[in-house]
Amino acid sequence: MSRLLAIATREYWAFVRTVGFWLSICLMPFGLLMAIYASGLAEKTAPPPTLAVVDLSGAGYGDDLAAAAREDRPIPTLVPAPGAPFASPADAVRSLRPFLSGARRLPGGAKLDAVALIEGTRSAPALNLWTREIAEPALEARLADALGEALRRNRLADAGLAPAQIAALEAAQPKVAHFSPRSGAGEVSLRDRLPSYVGFAMGLMLWSLILTGAGVLLNSVIEEKSSRILEVLLTSASVPEIMGGKILGAAAVTATALCVWLGLAGAALASQNPVLAGDIAGVLFQHGLLFYFALYFVGGYLAYATLFTTIGAFCETTREAQTLLGPLMILMSIPMIFMGQAIGRPDAPLIQALSWFPPFTPFLMAARAASGPPWWQVAGTGALLAGMVGLELWIAGRAFRTGALSSGRFDPRLLLAGLAGRGESA
Amino acid sequence: METALSLDGVTKRYGAFAAVADLSFQARTGRILGFLGPNGAGKTTTLRMILGLVRPTAGQVRVLGETDARKLRRRIGFLPEERGLYRRMTPVGVIAFLATLKGMPAGQARRRARTLLEAHGLGEACDRQIRALSKGMAQKVQLLSAIAHEPELVILDEPFSGLDPVNQQALEAIIRELAGRGATVIFSTHVMQHAERLCDQVVLIARGRKVFDGRVDEACAAAPRRLVLEGALTCNALADAPGVVRVVHEPAEEGRTRLIAELAAGAPVQAALKAAFQRDLDIARLELKEPHLHDAFIVLTGERDAA
Repeated sequence: MSRLLAIATREYWAFVRTVGFWLSICLMPFGLLMAIYASGLAEKTAPPPTLAVVDLSGAGYGDDLAAAAREDRPIPTLVPAPGAPFASPADAVRSLRPFLSGARRLPGGAKLDAVALIEGTRSAPALNLWTREIAEPALEARLADALGEALRRNRLADAGLAPAQIAALEAAQPKVAHFSPRSGAGEVSLRDRLPSYVGFAMGLMLWSLILTGAGVLLNSVIEEKSSRILEVLLTSASVPEIMGGKILGAAAVTATALCVWLGLAGAALASQNPVLAGDIAGVLFQHGLLFYFALYFVGGYLAYATLFTTIGAFCETTREAQTLLGPLMILMSIPMIFMGQAIGRPDAPLIQALSWFPPFTPFLMAARAASGPPWWQVAGTGALLAGMVGLELWIAGRAFRTGALSSGRFDPRLLLAGLAGRGESA
Repeated sequence: METALSLDGVTKRYGAFAAVADLSFQARTGRILGFLGPNGAGKTTTLRMILGLVRPTAGQVRVLGETDARKLRRRIGFLPEERGLYRRMTPVGVIAFLATLKGMPAGQARRRARTLLEAHGLGEACDRQIRALSKGMAQKVQLLSAIAHEPELVILDEPFSGLDPVNQQALEAIIRELAGRGATVIFSTHVMQHAERLCDQVVLIARGRKVFDGRVDEACAAAPRRLVLEGALTCNALADAPGVVRVVHEPAEEGRTRLIAELAAGAPVQAALKAAFQRDLDIARLELKEPHLHDAFIVLTGERDAA
């Protein structure tokens, strides 16, 4: 046990003492903040687009579209269409096309970004949106809604309704409330939805933590294998002590990163929104999510860390390891695809079935935990996961020594011999 | 004197290939045993079997009285053939860590590491990262990490490879020091000079089989003595001299011919010399070459191109 702890301690300090570790710890929240604010920042710093509205319908729809465009973000600069008036839609397109393609500029040197060309009649208008860039779905939707609303208003007016009646009709909105027997207060509130969100976040965090920890382990074992330190370790400690120490050390590294990140996030949330921070804490403790998280973290981490450690023992370079890890990474990405569904439809048959597959259990069950899955599913999937981890540890113990003592390029036959316990040694 | 290590009919097979075949020898406590053989002879496999890293296919290994060396990890020190250390750790950290794994308390291990490093001229490098050390210094650190816990049995796999002559000499001193304090040292090598200077006993293996086990002088006796004559000599001048098995001739300086006469085992050199002088040969230089371990190695292993 003391040897296991000595190996774990060395493993921990080997990573935690590096500048790279603390840089990645600090850069992670920074990267998250950048991701949140980057799109807003890009919008704020980008010049507003220029939009010309050309109404050839003669029904005044251009004013409605111009008003709608002003509600878009960023607010476009409305400019008169160069070369107006136009005799026909074809004439308009012919005149405006060089401006949209960038061949010509507007008076003052600005580019023309979009043209809303309205044709047809008062009762049957049509909108042709011409844009410089292909991807302008938000503007298209907003202008289409505005034209639709204006068309309905006109038709209601044609049917004899007074402007006040039309305004009242437009303002009419049903009162919508969401109830669920699971909600304590009857009506579903943010607090009721919080466990699902927290469960989803936990599943994602679990996935990234396991991947990080396993990556730390893999690099560490490859370094020891390539420098033959592993051979010295094998003469100083047993395989379970070496593997256990390394797995424990890497777990402590990821736990340190987790504690720092959670501490920073908790402090930031508590200072900005103490009520929400309290609610999240309540969800974690009252719904037992913390227990689920700890349980599935241990199971998932052991399952993947053991696998990564064993693979590392057979590889002398990260390139060799990458070829072996390819199929494993594909396997690990599958639960990510279903994670969203696991909180929206936690009892969907496919999600339930996938939860029983041990490599997916930690992630999907952590995400489903908030919905309170049946106890027998929790116990059954947990037992299968424990069984898989046990089997993996047993096989890995046999294969690790074979890998550690092998030399030269990775040989799949050696891996199979090691897995079958027919390696160099017991 | 007690036996620190014994191998009895040890065989290791990988499929049809026998890496080690029916190997038996013993190492006495407190002695230095050279485990010699050409590349690929099975030295590393044998050392791994002694350490319990590899299980023999047949036979028995007994280390310090136990049949499984894994039960005696604390009493054994090991230096592998291919070397490396944690590049970002300091020499003190590495030595202390490995000594801790061997059961030494952490504080004592750090003190011991500093003492050893200072005693072997690495005092100034104690707290530098390994990656900042020269190759020779790093190899010395690795050797010190193998012996920091004061093992009773020290196994060194090709310890001299990659070392410059100064560090080789320092390593020889360390090995003598280990034996001096009572440890049994077993080292493998294919460079015979070290074994000749250091070993009380040598075991030679070739193609997985033992070809010799005994003292250095006994091994040397297996190789022939040579009588070297230089002068205005004909090639067959010594061909029929008593005790001469065969003669090799080659050109020497100043137009002379060098004759190298290989003497039969136990043949007196005087008889060959007497014959040479009786034939009134024009001899400018004469030398009797006693065989070295290198010669014995070539004869015993049949590896004329080895070493």
